[in-house]
Amino acid sequence: MTSRTHHGVIVSDFNASNFAGCLKNNEEAPNVEAVVSPFGQVMPVLIQDDLDCWRGDPDFAVVWTQPQGVIKSFGPVLRYETAPSERLLEEVDEYAAALAGLSKRVKSVFVPTWAVPSYYRDFGLLDLKAGTGISHWLMRMNLRLAENFEKSVNVHILNSQKWIETAGKRAFSPRLWYMGKIVFGNEVFIEAARDVKAALRGLGGQSKKLVLVDLDDTLWGGIVGDLGWENVALGGHHAVGEAFSDFQRALKALTHRGILLGIVSKNDETVALEAIRCHPDMVLRLEDFVGWRINWRDKAENIVELVRSLNLGLQSVVFIDDSPAERARVREALPEVLVPEWPEDKLLYESTLRGLLCFNSPAVTREDVDRTRMYAAEAQREDSKRTMASVEEWLGSLGVTAKVEPLNEVNLQRAAQLLNKTNQMNLTTRRMTEAELLDWARKPNHRLWTVRVADRFGDSGLTGIVSLKVQGETGTIVDFVLSCRVMGRKVEEAMLHIAGEYARSQKVRTLKARYLATEKNRPCLDFWQRSAFAPDGTGTVFAWNLDAPYPRPESVTIEGNDA
Amino acid sequence: MPVTTKDKVLQVVFAGIEEANQVLPREAQLEKSEETALMGELSELDSLGLVNLIAAVEQKIEEEFHVLVNLADDEAMSLKANPFATVGTLTEYIATLLERRRA
Repeated sequence: MTSRTHHGVIVSDFNASNFAGCLKNNEEAPNVEAVVSPFGQVMPVLIQDDLDCWRGDPDFAVVWTQPQGVIKSFGPVLRYETAPSERLLEEVDEYAAALAGLSKRVKSVFVPTWAVPSYYRDFGLLDLKAGTGISHWLMRMNLRLAENFEKSVNVHILNSQKWIETAGKRAFSPRLWYMGKIVFGNEVFIEAARDVKAALRGLGGQSKKLVLVDLDDTLWGGIVGDLGWENVALGGHHAVGEAFSDFQRALKALTHRGILLGIVSKNDETVALEAIRCHPDMVLRLEDFVGWRINWRDKAENIVELVRSLNLGLQSVVFIDDSPAERARVREALPEVLVPEWPEDKLLYESTLRGLLCFNSPAVTREDVDRTRMYAAEAQREDSKRTMASVEEWLGSLGVTAKVEPLNEVNLQRAAQLLNKTNQMNLTTRRMTEAELLDWARKPNHRLWTVRVADRFGDSGLTGIVSLKVQGETGTIVDFVLSCRVMGRKVEEAMLHIAGEYARSQKVRTLKARYLATEKNRPCLDFWQRSAFAPDGTGTVFAWNLDAPYPRPESVTIEGNDA
Repeated sequence: MPVTTKDKVLQVVFAGIEEANQVLPREAQLEKSEETALMGELSELDSLGLVNLIAAVEQKIEEEFHVLVNLADDEAMSLKANPFATVGTLTEYIATLLERRRA
C-alpha cells in the first residue's frame, strides 16, 4: 500500500501544536505532516480558502474545538446562567454549515466531539438535568453535530470521549492550559492521533479484511486434543470460560462489519472440527469461518495457502495466536500480516481485540454484512466447477447476471469502498474519497458504471466498476475494478462490452486503457493481455477499434445498462 | 550508596523529558542527560517545548513526592542563575525546593 505522506491541517481554538507533534511522531502508517492553523480563529479559517494553511491541497483537516469556543450559547451553560433555548442547537447547525463548506475543499474532515474537563462535576445531581445540565447540553450538541453529517461522505465525527477515558486523570491539564493554552494532556493527543491515522488507513482502503485465529488457548482454554472438547474452558460460570465466550462474540461481531474469519491451527482437524460443532458454548460455528487450515504444518505456510484460496492479499490479514513462538514465526515469515501482541491473561482477549485499530471503515455496506455468506457461496461454486467437463460449460451453468448502474448516491459508498480496497483486478489503482469519486463521475465527458454480479449460487453484490473518459474520438478506460470474488466469470469481458457500447454511441473510434503496475495488480495485466485489445510496444496500453463492438460474453446477462 | 533526593529528582526530570519528547520532532528531542540545555543558545527547545517539560515535571513531582510545586513562579524567574539552563540546574533547583519544603 501507499506509504506517501498525508498532509493535514489542524484547526482549533486552543493550542494544538502538541497534537500535531503526536500525529507526526506516531509510527503507524501513513506518515502524516500536519500544520496548525492560526490560533483561535476557527470560523475565519474554516471560511477563507485562500489562507496559507490550505495551500497544497491538504488530504485532511482536523477541526477540534471547545464547545464554548464556537457555540456562544454554551458559555452561559458553563456559568450556570439562564438555561439556553433551542438557539444553542441552531448555533450547532450554523457551525456544521461552516464545516460542510470546508468539506468541499478538503478530502476528509475529522471533527472530534466536544468535551468539557472532567473536573466540571460540582453539580452532579444537575449535570444531566434537561435544560440546565452541562452534560445534558453537551450530549445534545454532539448528537446534533453528528446528525448534521449523517449523510456526509467526507465529514467524520470522532468520539473524543474514548481518548479522554483512556487518558484517565491526566486527560485535562490545568497546568498546560494556563501555561500554554493546551486543553488536553498528551495522552489524549496520542489516542487522537491513533484514531486519525486509523481513519486515514480505513479511508485509503488499508483496513484488514480477514482475521485468522488459532484454536487451543485462543478460541477456548486448554488443548482440545488432550482434554477432549467436553473439558476445554469455554462458557459456563467461570471467569476464563466467560472470557473465551466474549472473545468469540467479539470475533462474531466483526463478521457483521464485513470482516472474514478463518482458522489456522496446529491440531487434529477431526478433533478440532468436532469441538466447534459439538461444544454447546461455542459462539462461533463452522459457517462463521470462510476457511481453515487445521493440521501440523508450518502456520506461515498455512496462512499463505488459505489467504490465496480466498483471493485476498496478505496485507489484509490479522493473525491471532496465544503462542509467542508462533507469532514470532509468522511475523518473520510474513511481514505483511498484522500479528498483534497477545496478552497471556485470557480475561484481556476481548478488550485486546476491540482495541485493534485496523478494521476502520467509513461505511458498512450490504456487501460487508453478507460477505461471509458470499464466501460460502463461492465454495459451492468451486465445487460445481469440478463436476463440469469444461470451464465454458461451468460458466454457462452459473447463470451470471451483471446489473449495471451509473454511480449515484445510493451506490456511492460501496463503489468508493470497492475502488479503495481492490488491489488485484485494478487497472490504475487510483484511490478516491466518495466526494472525489462523485465529482469525477459528474463531469460531462466522464461515465462511471457500477456492476452488481449474481449467479445461481447467490448475489455477490456490487463488485465491479468501469469508468470512461471521452475525448473526441478516443475513449479511455480510467477505472477497471473487479472484486477478486467474481474474477474469472466473464464479468471482466462484460464490463468492456458495456464501456465499448457506450463509447460507440458517442461516435468514439478507439477504446484505450493504460495499465499502471503496482505490486499487486498483475492479475489485471494478465486479463488485458488475453482481452483481445491490442497492446502497444510498451505492453501497458491496450486499444480496441470500435468499428466492431467488443463482444458480450454469451454466459453473462447484462441488465439495466443505460448506456 | 543511598539514593538522594537529587537522584530521585533527576529520574523525575528524565520522565518529564520522555513525556515532552512525545510531541517534539524526532530531531529536536531532548537527551536524558544532566548536560542537556533547556534554554539559551545551546538549546533546541522552543517555548512550547519548555512549557510541556515544566508541566510534565510538575505533574511527576506531584506523583512521586506528593508535593505541589510551581516551577515557573516569580522566585524561579528572579534567581541570578537560571534554573532552566540545563537538566542539571533544573534538577538542583527542584531538589532545593523539596528540601526546603521538608525543613
